[in-house]
Amino acid sequence: MRIVVVGGGAAGIGAQGGAKGAAPDAEVILYTEYEDVGYSPCGIPFVHGREIERFEDLILQDKKFYEDAGFDIRYTTRVESIDTASQEIQVAGEGTVKYDRLVLGTGWNYEDPGLPGSDLAGLHYVKNIRRAMEFDKLLDEAKVAVVVDATPIGVEMATAFAHRGLETHFVDPGGWPLADVADPEIMEPVEESMRGLGIHLHMQTSVERFVGEGSVRGVATSQGEIPADVVVVATHKTPNTALATAAGIKTGSTGGIIVDDGMATSAENVWAAGDCVEIPHSVSKVPINGLSGSHAYAQGKVAGVNAGGGERAYQAVQVPWGMVAGTWTIGGVSFGETLATALGIPHVVGMADGISKARYYPGFSRIRVKLLVDPKTRTLVGGQMVGVEGIKERADFLAMAMRARVPIDDIAWMENVYSPPIGALNEPMALAAQNALGKL
Amino acid sequence: MRFFRWLRHNAEHYLLEAAQVDMAKKHRGGSGPLQPRNPQAFFWRRIFVPIYRLLPWSVRSAIMRAMPGSHRRSWERRASN
Repeated sequence: MRIVVVGGGAAGIGAQGGAKGAAPDAEVILYTEYEDVGYSPCGIPFVHGREIERFEDLILQDKKFYEDAGFDIRYTTRVESIDTASQEIQVAGEGTVKYDRLVLGTGWNYEDPGLPGSDLAGLHYVKNIRRAMEFDKLLDEAKVAVVVDATPIGVEMATAFAHRGLETHFVDPGGWPLADVADPEIMEPVEESMRGLGIHLHMQTSVERFVGEGSVRGVATSQGEIPADVVVVATHKTPNTALATAAGIKTGSTGGIIVDDGMATSAENVWAAGDCVEIPHSVSKVPINGLSGSHAYAQGKVAGVNAGGGERAYQAVQVPWGMVAGTWTIGGVSFGETLATALGIPHVVGMADGISKARYYPGFSRIRVKLLVDPKTRTLVGGQMVGVEGIKERADFLAMAMRARVPIDDIAWMENVYSPPIGALNEPMALAAQNALGKL
Repeated sequence: MRFFRWLRHNAEHYLLEAAQVDMAKKHRGGSGPLQPRNPQAFFWRRIFVPIYRLLPWSVRSAIMRAMPGSHRRSWERRASN
């Protein structure tokens, strides 16, 4: 049996390992159009910001590791088309390749900003590690950087540039950074800290064109021109489904490939995983797209195992998330108040300010927790937090509480660890839940 | 499917924009998102958003679930990844 995997990101690597595990005797070939596989693109901003010393540290395993493990990876090799009827793919430089099972992990692209000057050299999109290495050399000479769009990668890049000592301008039409994701009270301390880092926030400002001749020299905005040595475009992610749609594989309203809980697509013997697919949300039941690397890897494993003849399932998602923004960490799960208001999901908000450890212990920090509760079922609709410590763990806990449909009453009166150096007397999530209970 | 993608993209954009305006009024004294004017935006802001907001959640939810997508395939099994 020959299993072909297209894509060398988290989904592709997960699929390759899953397929090999389920069908050790199968021939598993992975095609990637890039020079590397299985690295962490999410770590790129932190190398630019010098928190991580070298780009090479982001690569999980070197090429020899995969060779020694018996994985057949075809680097810088483009799959041009798929024929699902004859179970063949066309590969640049190889011609027609037959497959018995196919897994697509073709990832995502940045949304085209659709602005004049989008073709200028020097506009940088954070994605590929080799391009990031080249871009990093430009940063050594650069003095002024502009980041376009306040998406998570945009916030991380702006923070990285500030750490690097560049004059950093951040341009976005939203009222506050990450307005599509995070609520204003969560972002309030983040904004303050970004300004404290020297980042110039140009909110309620749209980019009208990229300025330059041949290469970019700045951006023209609705509030005037900002000259720049480097410009990062951080528009939203869109699923890369060009191969799939050309092959007639069905996509949904997000543009992502439609899959079931086994990650099977609409085509026989074709599975898909990662940023190219759409997955139902556990609360709204509506499919969403563009999740994290951990989601992509887990989906890839399910797709690979099933392609190898095993039986695994993935579940509707709660989407715990978290990131460093300015000098704070923000995070949450599922819906914030902005998104719940947009969709009109019934909810009650409970909010509390707590602390990360005993108030007398040196270095304690503030944590703000905001929980959204369905008044009918008394279970969580979502939550958001800002703090310094313990945000990721709380987001994971809330996601699990949502999956298990834990009533808000149980969160309000949960037991919690109390030890002065690591935990306060009152758990901030419990305080927020108690606040919500008072409104139900 | 292009129609559903177009519908969802625009509906999400303008519903989020309206929610951000509300949130800005509630928490920030009114500094909401930039709202460029054009004929298409007029329809979504003045007609679609108010009508959507008048509908009960059960109807909104039913409309969203009626759209084609992954949620209409089998998602009953317990996770085993």
